[in-house]
Amino acid sequence: MCDIIWCKKEVDGKDCDTINYLDPYYFWNWEGTIACAECGTVYYIYMINGFMYKGPDERPGEKPDILPLYADKPYDGYSNYRPGVEGRTRPYQCMPRSWLTGTADMVKFSVRGRPVRGWRPQPPSAGLAGQFPYNWDIQKLTPEVWEEYQQKLSKGEVKDW
Amino acid sequence: MAKDPRVTRIEDLPGPKSQGEMDEMKMPYEEYCKNLFDVGNEHTKPEALKGIKWLSCTMYIFTPHSVANLAELGAKVVKIEMPRMGDAMRHTSPFNECYLYPLHDTRPMTGTGLGFTNANPNKYFLTMDYHIPEMVEVFYGLVKKFDGLTELYRPGTLDKWKMSYRYLSEINPRFIYVWGGGFGYGPKIFGGSYDILGQAHAGLASVTGMHEYMGGHCTKQTNWVIDWQSGNIITCSILAAIHHRRKTGLGTMIEFSQVQVPTRMLGHTLPMYGKFGIVRQRWGNWDTQLCAHGIILCGKSDFPDADNPQDKFDARYVMVSAFQDADFKELCAITGMNDLYEKYKSHDKRVEGEAQVEIYGALEKWAEDKSRSEVAKILQDAGILAEPVRNDREVYESEHFRERGTVRWLDDPLFGDMLVHCGYSCGLMEKTPRRINWHWRPVGADNKKVYQDWLGVPQSTIQEWYDKAWI
Amino acid sequence: MAELTPEEFLDNIMIPEKSSDHICWNCTGLKPVLKGSKFPPADIIGWCKKIHWPHYWCVADFNVVKKCYAFEAKKK
Ligand code: SF4
Ligand SMILES: [Zn+2]
Repeated sequence: MCDIIWCKKEVDGKDCDTINYLDPYYFWNWEGTIACAECGTVYYIYMINGFMYKGPDERPGEKPDILPLYADKPYDGYSNYRPGVEGRTRPYQCMPRSWLTGTADMVKFSVRGRPVRGWRPQPPSAGLAGQFPYNWDIQKLTPEVWEEYQQKLSKGEVKDW
Repeated sequence: MAKDPRVTRIEDLPGPKSQGEMDEMKMPYEEYCKNLFDVGNEHTKPEALKGIKWLSCTMYIFTPHSVANLAELGAKVVKIEMPRMGDAMRHTSPFNECYLYPLHDTRPMTGTGLGFTNANPNKYFLTMDYHIPEMVEVFYGLVKKFDGLTELYRPGTLDKWKMSYRYLSEINPRFIYVWGGGFGYGPKIFGGSYDILGQAHAGLASVTGMHEYMGGHCTKQTNWVIDWQSGNIITCSILAAIHHRRKTGLGTMIEFSQVQVPTRMLGHTLPMYGKFGIVRQRWGNWDTQLCAHGIILCGKSDFPDADNPQDKFDARYVMVSAFQDADFKELCAITGMNDLYEKYKSHDKRVEGEAQVEIYGALEKWAEDKSRSEVAKILQDAGILAEPVRNDREVYESEHFRERGTVRWLDDPLFGDMLVHCGYSCGLMEKTPRRINWHWRPVGADNKKVYQDWLGVPQSTIQEWYDKAWI
Repeated sequence: MAELTPEEFLDNIMIPEKSSDHICWNCTGLKPVLKGSKFPPADIIGWCKKIHWPHYWCVADFNVVKKCYAFEAKKK
């Protein structure tokens, strides 16, 4: 269950018609002001146990306490503001890493600078039925990474920890 | 013992028996431990479970972890995976990142995700589609040579394939058979399980997180604690079964429902209901039995300019423990909360909910203009137990873990430079320490070793099975 | 209509499943079992949030609380 603020504020002769979602984890018991992600109109709300006790009431001129996490416009093909749009939605800080891209990171070296087999494609196995009987001889199997490793070594980029 | 009880011999007395022993005993305890456990040289010592051979038809974390414990202790564990696919966990987590390549010969562009870590070290990786009639006899061949099996299929699946305990114990009466899964037999026999289901079903998630009064909701532990913990408890049962077999010569069956485990971890929760009709509630970062004994939020981050939100925003928490009267007095003195000390002099007063709200509130107020490390230092200097709440990076950098070898680098024979803990985070053993030999291996990497060297299957047959995707 | 206080508002949205002679109904400590709940077992009217705070005590419906040292009347 998620309450919403359906902003009907008239902007340039047209209704704003933006749905600002009030995610229950945050707004379950909450009192304060929140701005519409589209037009910036500030609303006062007071929620108790996930129900709207007071509001939403417009509070022109007030600074919002918070921004919604997500908002969309159903009459506009559900165009939307995802979390973290500067000045419109609040950032979502739960990402495991600030630089998470969602695509596989090809890693050739560990954080301390030694080779790790984290890229593709890799040479196939050396024998029967998919077995891997040998050690990963990096010099033989991937000479270019070996070369890069030597350079790192000489530059002192390979550490113990 | 000397024959004549009136004669006193040095051998019969407690204490050192030789100069060497004397010197050893006089060593400071610190040195003594360092020598005894010799962290970093585990591989020069024998393995406790050498000689035990285990089969594993398992997936994800829970059941694989139950046999990973055996493998770290020196048992020979063969993980049987689906041909060309492998354990689903290889493909599960963390999404789209941190792969180690290759997964399998036929899939050079696919890797195994780091989610596979810790549940699969030191194992041998075999592929076999054991449920097809052509492979049943081969499977039985393994059963004859092995000490036990762990499987996680829906209850009765292996029974249908004539591979359950009642069939396998006919072939090998010493066989120890483990089923591990969600609910086990009973009203929910067909229910599958995930860690989160265990956390929810057995009430663990209901006492994790902030209290309703604080605006909190029930919360699951981020990591799959129930999976890991269930694995550990199965390992205990396996070791007990092995001991029992040593005495009787007979194998046994272990049936393990994962959703039971959280009830064991919940301590007094259930008995308290049984006795008083009290439903235990979550209490966030505080403790309902001890006060002060919790985690507080400080005003300033230790890394305000960091890129990573974990550092930038979260490096603000400190764990504080000062529940004994003297410690609490000191805590109040150093934080200027003397009025609170007067008010809550006795522990049973300050452990009350309302008192805690007041005490932690005042503590956080005091910490408002301080950083996490400042708070920790002020308290530690005053002799109060306090530690910053660390993230992964800080754990990696922690001297404590490095010195004890808990976190260390492994030169994996196949995958290169790997940071590991798993086996090294399970306590130290003097004579037969745990160890990590390899992180894991690709799907079917040990097919030839097992089929040819252990079972004597000719190479041409192995190739034929491989081409038909039976293995 | 006069404006509802937050407590009165809460009473309006949280419709209890049961009614009984417990004095708990007039106490700020009671968290009632809500209408239509399948859980918990049928023999409680709700939980007392007060006397074992922060834990909750199951208030049985067959054991009627008539007098209570921790009773605190709801504001009318
Ligand atoms: S404090 Fe007493 S009267 Fe109030 S709900 Fe609890 S048991 Fe009932
Ligand atoms: Zn708007």
